[in-house]
Order: sequence, then C-alpha cells, then structure tokens
Amino acid sequence: MITDVAKNIARFLIFLLIQVSILKHLDLGRFINPFLYVIFILMLPIRSNQALVMVLAFCTGLTVDMFYNTMGYNAAACVFMAYCRPLILRTYAPKGEYDTSAKPTIQSLGLPWVLSYVGTMVFLHHLVLFFLEAFSLSSFFSTLGIVIISSACTVGLVVLSQFIMQRGRT
Amino acid sequence: MYGIIAFFRKHYFAVLFVALEFLSLYFVFKDNYYHQAGFFNSANSVAGSVYKTYNGITSYFNLASENQKLAEENTMLHNSLGSIPDTSKHLKVAHTNPYGDQFNFITADVIDNSTNQINNYLTLNIGKNQGVAEGMGVISPSGIVGVVIGVSDHYSVVMSLLHKSYQLSAMLKKGGAFGTVIWEGGDSRFALLKQIPMSETVKVGDTIVSSGYSTLYPKGINVGTIESVEPVPTQYFYKIKLRLATNFKKLGYVYVVSDLMKKEKTELQNNAYKANEGK
Repeated sequence: MITDVAKNIARFLIFLLIQVSILKHLDLGRFINPFLYVIFILMLPIRSNQALVMVLAFCTGLTVDMFYNTMGYNAAACVFMAYCRPLILRTYAPKGEYDTSAKPTIQSLGLPWVLSYVGTMVFLHHLVLFFLEAFSLSSFFSTLGIVIISSACTVGLVVLSQFIMQRGRT
Repeated sequence: MYGIIAFFRKHYFAVLFVALEFLSLYFVFKDNYYHQAGFFNSANSVAGSVYKTYNGITSYFNLASENQKLAEENTMLHNSLGSIPDTSKHLKVAHTNPYGDQFNFITADVIDNSTNQINNYLTLNIGKNQGVAEGMGVISPSGIVGVVIGVSDHYSVVMSLLHKSYQLSAMLKKGGAFGTVIWEGGDSRFALLKQIPMSETVKVGDTIVSSGYSTLYPKGINVGTIESVEPVPTQYFYKIKLRLATNFKKLGYVYVVSDLMKKEKTELQNNAYKANEGK
C-alpha cells in the first residue's frame, strides 16, 4: 500500500519533470504538442476513490499550468478527464468486472484495452485544453487537427513509457 | 436539511466536478495578465529553479551562436559610436537633456521559452531584487521580445510578442505611419501589421520599428521587415505580413527596459485627466 503511494508520487515527479523540461521545449511545430504528464492520472489504480482521483487531477493540472503560465487550462482539462474516467472504465470493462488486482497497464489488461482507455482519456483532455486555449471556433479545424495529432503523440508516448516501466520492473 | 445532505451524498462526485471545474475556469477567465498572483506562474521559486537548472545544462549547446550574436552586437555598437562626429559635444547635450537618460537596460538570461503554444511566455533569471517590475518592456539585441507580466524576488515572467493578447504600437521607419503589430498563432517568424492606411506607400522589405508611444520601449527599436503587402479593397487599410527581427526560437539573453520617467508620465496624465473631470 505504502509502496503504491510512493510509486505514484515518483511517477508524478518524474513525468512532470519530463513534461516541463523536455516536451515543452520539443519544438516540432504547433500540431505536435504532447502532454505526457497525464499518464500519472491514467495509471492511478482502477479501484481508487474517484473523488480522490479528481482532486489529484486538479492539483496535477495546476502544477503543470504553473510551469506553462497557462493558469487553469490544464486543471480544467484534467478535472474533466477525471470526471469522465468512471464512465470510460465502465464502458471498456472486460466481461463481468475488473479483477481486484487489475491495473491500467498493458501487462495487466493488454494492449487493446490500454489503447482504447488511454486514447479516449487523452483525447478528452486535449480537446478541452486546446479549445479552451484557442477560445474561438473560427479556427475550429486547425484546432481539431492539433487535438488529434497531439493526442496520437501523447498516446504513443504513454504506451512507450509503459513498455519502459515494465522492462525496468522485470 | 436532511434532503440537502442526502443530495450531496448521492451526487458528491458531480458536485466536486462542478466546483473544481468552476475554480479552474475562474483562473482561466479572470483578467490575470497584469495581476497574476505571485505564486501561480513560472516566476515562483519552484518553477524558477527547475528552469534555471535546465537552462544551466542546455545553454552550453548554444554558446557558439550566442558568441556570434554578441560579436555582431558589439560591431553594431562600435559602428554607431563611430558615426557620431564629435563625441564630447554630444555627451554634454546628453547629460543636460534628460531624454538621454530616460531608459535603463538590465541584462537577463532567458531560462525558459516557448514558441509553439497558442500563447507563449518566457521566464527570466532576474526579478524584483534586480529591479524588474511588471509592465517593463523586454528587447533582444535584434528586436522587440515582449513585456514583463509577473515578478517574484528572483525571477520574472514575460508575455512574448507571440501571444494572442499582445499588441505593439509600431511605425514605418520610412514615412512614419503608425500601426499595430499582432500575432495570430502559427509560425513564430511572422506577425501581422494592422491599421496602416492605404494612403501610405508601403514596399516589401521596409523596416518597422517601435513607435515610442507607450512607456514600454524606446522609440526606434527593430520590430521586423515587411514580407508581403495586400491591399484589402473593402477597407482603408493594408494587410501586411511582417518578418520579425527577433528569432524567438534562439533567445539566449535579453534586456529588460526600465523607463525612468514612466512614473512622471503616468502621474502627469492622471492629473490631467482628473483636472479635466473636475471641470
């Protein structure tokens, strides 16, 4: 239990650092703008208290906002994602229910499950974030383009990170 | 009363969502460009020291190009010194003329910068303790950079010219017509120049400089050159695309401009407004 908490704190710090030092300065044009830090929220245990997840999401978003000088944008996106999480988990639940030991990882639930869960969550997060930032529907299609391409990059990075973390464990 | 408690018990998740989302959107929509809380921006000590460490590592990779830029700036300054015919006379004039001492420049390291967001900011390694205040202009050796919007003791946040809310009063170096420079997102090398009337003659390659109307920058700081001009038939203004003088992707160090007469100027204006209202 305590090691789980420690693991999550470590994950939070490591991915926050990767986000603000590497990904923020990765200048690949405005369409490729991945937000890998959401992996911290995605990988919280499936059975964790949903209200706690939402509060953690809010704090995580606010921390990233502080580094990006985008006060409230990431927080709003993260809170929305956390609100949708129970519904998404229910939608993609394997036959019956999740095992008590099930974790939102490739190892535990397989690549197709991870892709659909991470894909939906990341898309919702990026949708709120980028449209809030553009704050107009005049550039609707270019903003949607940013949402889709950046989501794909984020999902790719999340899956890659999971593979790397899995390797490190065995 | 029990009804209310029962309602919150049943819907606490939705209530929490609405509360947190409301708080986030409050942060988003409150007018925080000049009134950012000291803690929640990249000037706070946590974000500042992370960026400082990061910059300490990565700045070594740009040393060669930074040196080149410094050498070029030195050459330019030497040349402009040489073009003043009799220095002693001018120095005397400069000392008696307070305009010559109006602006003070403070050197700063850019420890964090972005160009690919919709709204871009820079973080500088100097703050209140070094004399930086909100509302000061920031320039690079090659041109305009932005304006300081948040300061802590040791760091400051700058709204880049590459920001939706940024508007710069600029003018044509030749002819002196005034316009406004804005950035609408996308390519960090280009911006738009608006409100130049069709009656002016405008050519591709013409230089645009700061107008000096605001107290942010001295008059005549480079903004960019005209890349393309399009007359808009239904309006009285040109549509002008501007190639920015500053390369925002490679900003190593910048100067923060403090206008020593800003207080005097604003006080004078406020008094004039008051006197006018009193009538």
